[in-house]
Amino acid sequence: MVSVLYFARSAELAGLRCENPLGPRQKSALQLWRRSVKLAVIRDQVVFAVRQEYVLLGDQLLLLQPGDEVAIIPPISGG
Amino acid sequence: AMAGAAAARLRAEIRRRERELRGLRERLRPSWLLGFPAELPPLPARSALSAAEILRYSRQLVLPDSVLVVGCGGLGCPWRSTWRRPAWAAWGWWITTWWRRATAAAGAARRGARGRPKARSAAARCGGFNSAVQYVPYRGALGPRSALRLVRQYDIVADCSDNVPTRYLVSDACVLAGKPLVSGSALRLEGQLVVYNYRGGPCYRCLFPEPPPPDTVTNCADGGVLGVVTGIIGCMQALEVLKIASGMGSSFHQYMLMFDALEGRFRNIKLRPKKADCAVCGDSPSITCLQDYEAFCGSSATDKCRTLQLLPSKDRISVERYKELLDERVPHVLLDVRPQVEVDICRLEHAVHIPLRKLEEKDEEYLQYLQKRIREEKQRTDEQTSFPVYVICKLGNDSQKAVKILQELPVKEFGSVLAKDIKGGLMAWATKIDSTFPQY
Ligand SMILES: [Zn+2]
Repeated sequence: MVSVLYFARSAELAGLRCENPLGPRQKSALQLWRRSVKLAVIRDQVVFAVRQEYVLLGDQLLLLQPGDEVAIIPPISGG
Repeated sequence: AMAGAAAARLRAEIRRRERELRGLRERLRPSWLLGFPAELPPLPARSALSAAEILRYSRQLVLPDSVLVVGCGGLGCPWRSTWRRPAWAAWGWWITTWWRRATAAAGAARRGARGRPKARSAAARCGGFNSAVQYVPYRGALGPRSALRLVRQYDIVADCSDNVPTRYLVSDACVLAGKPLVSGSALRLEGQLVVYNYRGGPCYRCLFPEPPPPDTVTNCADGGVLGVVTGIIGCMQALEVLKIASGMGSSFHQYMLMFDALEGRFRNIKLRPKKADCAVCGDSPSITCLQDYEAFCGSSATDKCRTLQLLPSKDRISVERYKELLDERVPHVLLDVRPQVEVDICRLEHAVHIPLRKLEEKDEEYLQYLQKRIREEKQRTDEQTSFPVYVICKLGNDSQKAVKILQELPVKEFGSVLAKDIKGGLMAWATKIDSTFPQY
């Protein structure tokens, strides 16, 4: 099972902190990103990470393994 | 001739001593500097270190290093205790800027009367801890004109600020001045730490090329941060600064540290290297001087509790006007859109409560409830004109978002509704109308 984790503002926009999408194991970064249309407004303000590693939001295919973690990380600016 | 040479030598000695005296005076002066001076007060000469100080620092930091700490809210606070008994002591400076309107989100360790310049009290307390470290407090909001000059005077910069424009400003200034930036941030139960512009790593813009639209930035009205979380991130920032200053280096130019307090978990996210086409640190940068960051981000740095302008003025009323309407007993519905926790603290008795989140989700149950309340109130009037719904929140930002949602509700079910927001929200109500209403 693959987990998509939403942090900070993306969790608010998506309305959840974690989900486990089903479907093919091969997906592009953009396909994963577009799971939640509400996130479109912060597209240029996120670090998109797969297996805890930065991935460019593009069409390149990712082969996801069970247990993989996809993280959507907008910057937080508070302090 | 010999007497002449001796006199010249003595005169040179006098000049040297006078310089030293000026430097020492500068250190002793209640170092409360207004604005951003062009130059730092001189560091005392190395020979001014006492034997005890040399013993204390010789095994620690040998090179003088200076650190600019931008912001002294929750993130800036922990620096005090970190530098108090340094296992590592930096021979340098501890600098903070002071925000004219630093409000809300009080850090766990913050003390001092309201409105008192925090940089001064922070620096004063640091000075008491460790006399070999010099602290220079700055007062004022860092702007495009002062930032680069200031950043150039230091070796390492720590961003402890609390708003988006300052983050872009400080990052760009560090790229232009070639200084590493230890950036920490925290909101609610999350914290982040990255070292930007360091050893081929990215800058802030490499990761986040565009600022978020201002109305998607969580403001202090519905944000807030736990002092412990800023404390943890602030301490880690201080640690990374010391590692960089000592030459050990930091690995957070390759990784972003994320702290999730709810889950109790730290994550290291591997970052990209710097972007070849980055607007500021790339191969052919388009940004070669500092800009207007408040315009770039569409929000103000000194006012992190931004006041949004989402509605035209015809869709808004003042608290004074609303008071008149109440006194005139004009039929209406007052809708409070704050989160439940805030409503539990205080509320206007006659208000209908629906959190903004539920409106955004078009929650059936809540919308039916609202519809019912509007119908009930409407029965008291025989007028067929649009029925007024006034929307209130804490500061008047969320209420505008709510009005926009109400304006799009189907007329068929809700009838004709005239939604307006109450400017400045309940806090304006507390200051201008009812002084007994709690301010929080
Ligand atoms: Zn860059």
